[in-house]
Amino acid sequence: MKFRVERDVLADAVAWTARSLPARPAVPVLAGLLLEAADQRLTLSSFDYEVSARGGVEAEIDEPGRVLVSGRLLADISKSLPNRPVEVSTDGAKVTVVCGSARFTLPTLPVEDYPALPDMPTAAGSVEGDVFAAAVAQVAIAAGRDDTLPMLTGVRVEIEGDMVTLAATDRYRLAVRQFHWKPEADGLSSAVALVPAKTLNDTAKSLTQGDSVQIALSGDKIGEGMIGFEGAGRRTTTRLLEGEFPKYRALFPEQSETVATVETAPFVDAVKRVSLVAERNTPVRLSFSDGRLVLEAGSGDEAQASEAIDATLEGEEISIAFNPTFLLEGLSAIGSPVAQISFTTSTKPAVMTGKPDVEAEATDEYRYLIMPVRLSG
Amino acid sequence: MRLVIARCSVDYVGRLTAHLPSAPRLILVKRDGSVSVHADDRAYKPLNWMSPPCTLKEGDGVWTVINKAGEKLIITIEEVLHDTSHELGVDPGLVKDGVEAHLQELLADRLDALGAGWTLIRREYPTPIGPVDILCRDADGTTVAVEIKRRGEIDGVEQLTRYLELLNRDTLIAPVKGVFAAQEIKPQARVLAVDRGITCVTLDYNALRGTEDDKLKLF
Repeated sequence: MKFRVERDVLADAVAWTARSLPARPAVPVLAGLLLEAADQRLTLSSFDYEVSARGGVEAEIDEPGRVLVSGRLLADISKSLPNRPVEVSTDGAKVTVVCGSARFTLPTLPVEDYPALPDMPTAAGSVEGDVFAAAVAQVAIAAGRDDTLPMLTGVRVEIEGDMVTLAATDRYRLAVRQFHWKPEADGLSSAVALVPAKTLNDTAKSLTQGDSVQIALSGDKIGEGMIGFEGAGRRTTTRLLEGEFPKYRALFPEQSETVATVETAPFVDAVKRVSLVAERNTPVRLSFSDGRLVLEAGSGDEAQASEAIDATLEGEEISIAFNPTFLLEGLSAIGSPVAQISFTTSTKPAVMTGKPDVEAEATDEYRYLIMPVRLSG
Repeated sequence: MRLVIARCSVDYVGRLTAHLPSAPRLILVKRDGSVSVHADDRAYKPLNWMSPPCTLKEGDGVWTVINKAGEKLIITIEEVLHDTSHELGVDPGLVKDGVEAHLQELLADRLDALGAGWTLIRREYPTPIGPVDILCRDADGTTVAVEIKRRGEIDGVEQLTRYLELLNRDTLIAPVKGVFAAQEIKPQARVLAVDRGITCVTLDYNALRGTEDDKLKLF
């Protein structure tokens, strides 16, 4: 095998493919990155039986072939090479990487032992790359990180016709985002999948370069337990999580007593300032009255802070307390200049949504449900 | 076990030398020959000690403890305040961690934490090399052996692997799958378990015993 490729192109492709290399490979070949050169194209692959990644770049192929080398080493080498064309060739059981006057010789791993990457499930539809990335980022923040409830470490993906709903919850908050996509497979009217949140988030971020992302699920129902994403010449598949996701739609309150409208940026700044005195696991308290929102944190002999900002209120006045981190993550996730928060009581969850300006109607495109913290005394 | 309380000074002569000036102290002489000198503070660490094998020579007001390397612990006794011996017999050893035993009991009661429809066969299911914590059936009726640990490390996976090998020879219950359940599972142990087809489950002790914090939750 022998090929020549631009340094930046190689470094980028290797870094992307090497992301999903296992930290502790159960079989040595899984630490490898598969390089396949054919038809003026270099294909790079990694696989750990959970997540697979495959990317292709254009390259000048002198001699086609396939070879397996240590992925981490190749990633470290390619990102520190000088900005010159890179020539990669095999010589017996060695791979030589030459770039400018730098020369590396790497041992190869037995390519015949490398497992076949899973096929992409039947293509199911596509969505714009940046819409997908934004939607995943908005939802993945609410996913659990605790292995004691594995199904909460996933993002639930529900497909119903041309509507996709993403949902994640860690029992303290719940994020739900809906977006339209273009279904392409016949007969795929509905599907559900539980995708590991971390993998989904990494994947969505890395596929924004392309115009559109193909999402591929096995049809009918959960099927083969796999989901695939493809865009800009890159493809990732990941195994789905098992387990029953909570019936989250019923968690949203049916009606609200109070609706507050606050400009997001000053609200975020005030929460950040006031929560400086909030010790770990202590809340920031919000008191909404007509035209005014007072934020307070700290109590008793400890440091205290308070700040008042403008707010519009419809309905009863309310005092409520939240975990400042969860509140800030929600305010940042709504991604809108104005935040609308609907309350029932100070011990019931509140719904945060975004809107472009104070007068506009809030949309249900993205909803962040946040559980308050009980105030002692 | 011989307990001596005496006003004494202690000199250690060996790789390094140390001196404890005269003061009242507790001297323990254990059945294995070990000698340790304690002050009236801290739970576990003696001021000075000699590990077995070593010999104790009791002279007139001077005890000399010598180990194989020729190092010496010299205890100069000015006044004996107390001197008793007690026969303690053989110690049963540290019994199974209380939390681990409790986890086993809780999990046996709430097998749904492992999966819906799982049923208990028995706790402490005997095998020729010791009892496996829980033997149960999953929803499909497949036999599952569960090994419970507080901290899931490589040793625990090895232990479960040995149980599974033996259990799978019993045609009445084979095939037997393995579940490695712990409050915390080390990444190395997880890799080994998954490689051997053993499922890893992280247990929430507080949730199992129903003492969850009183934080408000969505569900």
